[in-house]
Amino acid sequence: MSGVRFITREIGSLAKPSWRVKAVAGRPLEESDFSAAEDWGRRLDVSGHEELVEGLRAGSLSKSQVDDWAAIYAIRLLERVGLDAVYDGEQKRTEMYDHVAAFADGFEARGIVRSFDNKYYAKAAVVETPSVAGPQDVKEFEFVRAYTDRVVKVPLTGAYTMEDWSYDEHYGHEGGLGASAEHRYEARRRFVHDVAVNVIRPNVEGLVAAGAAWIQIDEPAATTKPAEVPLVVEGFNEATRGIDAMKSMHICFSDYSALWPAVIELEDCLELQLEFANRDSRELGTKDEDRPGYAETLGLFKEHGYPGVGLGVLDIHSDFVEPAELVRDRILYAAGVLGDPERIQVNPDCGLRTRSWEVVYEKLANMVHGTRLAEEALG
Amino acid sequence: MRAFAPGIYPRSEALVQATRDLDRGRTSAEAVAEQTRRDVDELVSVQRDAGLSLLSDGLLGWQDIFRPLAEAAVGLDARPLTRFLDTNTFYRAVLVDGRPRLSSPVPAPDLPAGEWVGTLPSPLAFARAANDAVSARALAADVVAPQIQAWTEAGAGLIVLSEPFAAREGEAGELLSALAELPAAAPLALQLPFGDAAALLPALADAPVAAIGVDFYATSLDAVPSGYPKEILAGVLDARSSALESSDEIARFAESLAARAPAGVALTPNGDLQFVPESIAREKLARLGRASTTLAEVA
Repeated sequence: MSGVRFITREIGSLAKPSWRVKAVAGRPLEESDFSAAEDWGRRLDVSGHEELVEGLRAGSLSKSQVDDWAAIYAIRLLERVGLDAVYDGEQKRTEMYDHVAAFADGFEARGIVRSFDNKYYAKAAVVETPSVAGPQDVKEFEFVRAYTDRVVKVPLTGAYTMEDWSYDEHYGHEGGLGASAEHRYEARRRFVHDVAVNVIRPNVEGLVAAGAAWIQIDEPAATTKPAEVPLVVEGFNEATRGIDAMKSMHICFSDYSALWPAVIELEDCLELQLEFANRDSRELGTKDEDRPGYAETLGLFKEHGYPGVGLGVLDIHSDFVEPAELVRDRILYAAGVLGDPERIQVNPDCGLRTRSWEVVYEKLANMVHGTRLAEEALG
Repeated sequence: MRAFAPGIYPRSEALVQATRDLDRGRTSAEAVAEQTRRDVDELVSVQRDAGLSLLSDGLLGWQDIFRPLAEAAVGLDARPLTRFLDTNTFYRAVLVDGRPRLSSPVPAPDLPAGEWVGTLPSPLAFARAANDAVSARALAADVVAPQIQAWTEAGAGLIVLSEPFAAREGEAGELLSALAELPAAAPLALQLPFGDAAALLPALADAPVAAIGVDFYATSLDAVPSGYPKEILAGVLDARSSALESSDEIARFAESLAARAPAGVALTPNGDLQFVPESIAREKLARLGRASTTLAEVA
């Protein structure tokens, strides 16, 4: 029996099944959608999935009921591949930015912009000080809690990312042409502060009061403007300070060298869950030259000693299914660099929403298998 | 005063949906191509209505500024997603797996000869996107130059080289060396999107291009040396803001700038308009045109 036990988990979003997308959008379902619900229901051993298929065929399910089913399917998928910590694949959310911007007061939708290739996201403008009437995700959490015995990790979009991904028609509106850099920074700082205190924190407090034990703050925009990483830290601390729960932060597709030393000021942050596999080789091996996607950033973790690392071992933008041995080698390499496996946990680079469930299943199953192989090797 | 909008223009909601459907297997590549053609036609109409001097096809089929050239060249590929500057938009970094050479030029847009503006990555930007696995000079000579030649022969009125990295690096030597490899007779401009151009402008006064594009939401007016010898493509629309500019304010700013730039001023966005939704970009173009008209009436 190995002495090392890594916690495997997803990061957040999974693709929404076609039957969920069409039913919620009010579009007609096709036979392939019913088959998908049937096949995955059977494969994941989803209790009562026949009711879903029947309801979809009859068109008798409310949007809320369809959302619930999608969440149950996602939970079962994540359980079935063997993850230690799960959520619902964010099946009830539109996407991470719009989920918050559409709920909070102070934002107005402005339209769709491209993220990359044929992927887009909705973008809003802040037009007044943001606020919420109450915690946003408590019902969602309680639903997940009721459907799994695994550890539950709740992903929440961070204050800095909300600020960075929004157009600003309020805080720096008078800036524009000719404004000083200091003026722009101060405007952004006030925006981050208000989102952290008025929007994110009420949600965190509500979730923890409802029993949530692990809050993950997602900040994919963290290093977008390297000089503003202290704002990311400030937003995290203001949203979670004094909250009695495990707290971590997820960042991806960023210049991680910009994170230190500012992230040392993160208060009580279990780990940074980062994307690595996207920039790594697909060859096996545990030498520096075998793992170009990991060496530099892990060196920063080693140098600064804080916090722990959520090691991204799956490239979420590729259908390439990482063999378990590749996952193993990535973990072993990280353990070797850090010299302390206790600082490492294992996850995909990011949410897997751009991959099919078939690919997700294979990737995550191999991730878990590879993690067990690494534990054996380290034991 | 000329006004135009180089760079990648945002896709319409219909084209966004079509490309999403394509990725999900719900429509065909032909249907997306047809929607793209409709978007281009609409964009050309918007630009004509705004009175813009040069027309762009908006590069609506381009996934990022580097991809088409990377795909049109041997020795280059594109894979890892990489953040574009300090935006939430990503490009695929260029992988070098041999000596790069343009094998088949990217087709020119179907627009009247002499009336269109094309956009390409500057050789330095291309090299940076390739993590400097190949030099900017080599990319200039073997990939960008033949593409410029092809578009020049196809009737480009202006080719804007988009250079987002140099202003942040603050050094022009490598860039100038690469630009020297490009066809001397081609109608070229170098645009410095989303960065403070102050440190580069003196060195670029001798660059082998006809015009320099400056982001005036990151660069102060005072940074333009008095009597600057190159035409300035004045980035007066903020392509990363949903706030709509005042045509009158643009016109006043342009007049101030013109006093420092005797070689001329043209009005442009400060970078690709793809960073705002199409409906906002469309209104921004209208305001750009109105500013140009206002200046013409004053003149």
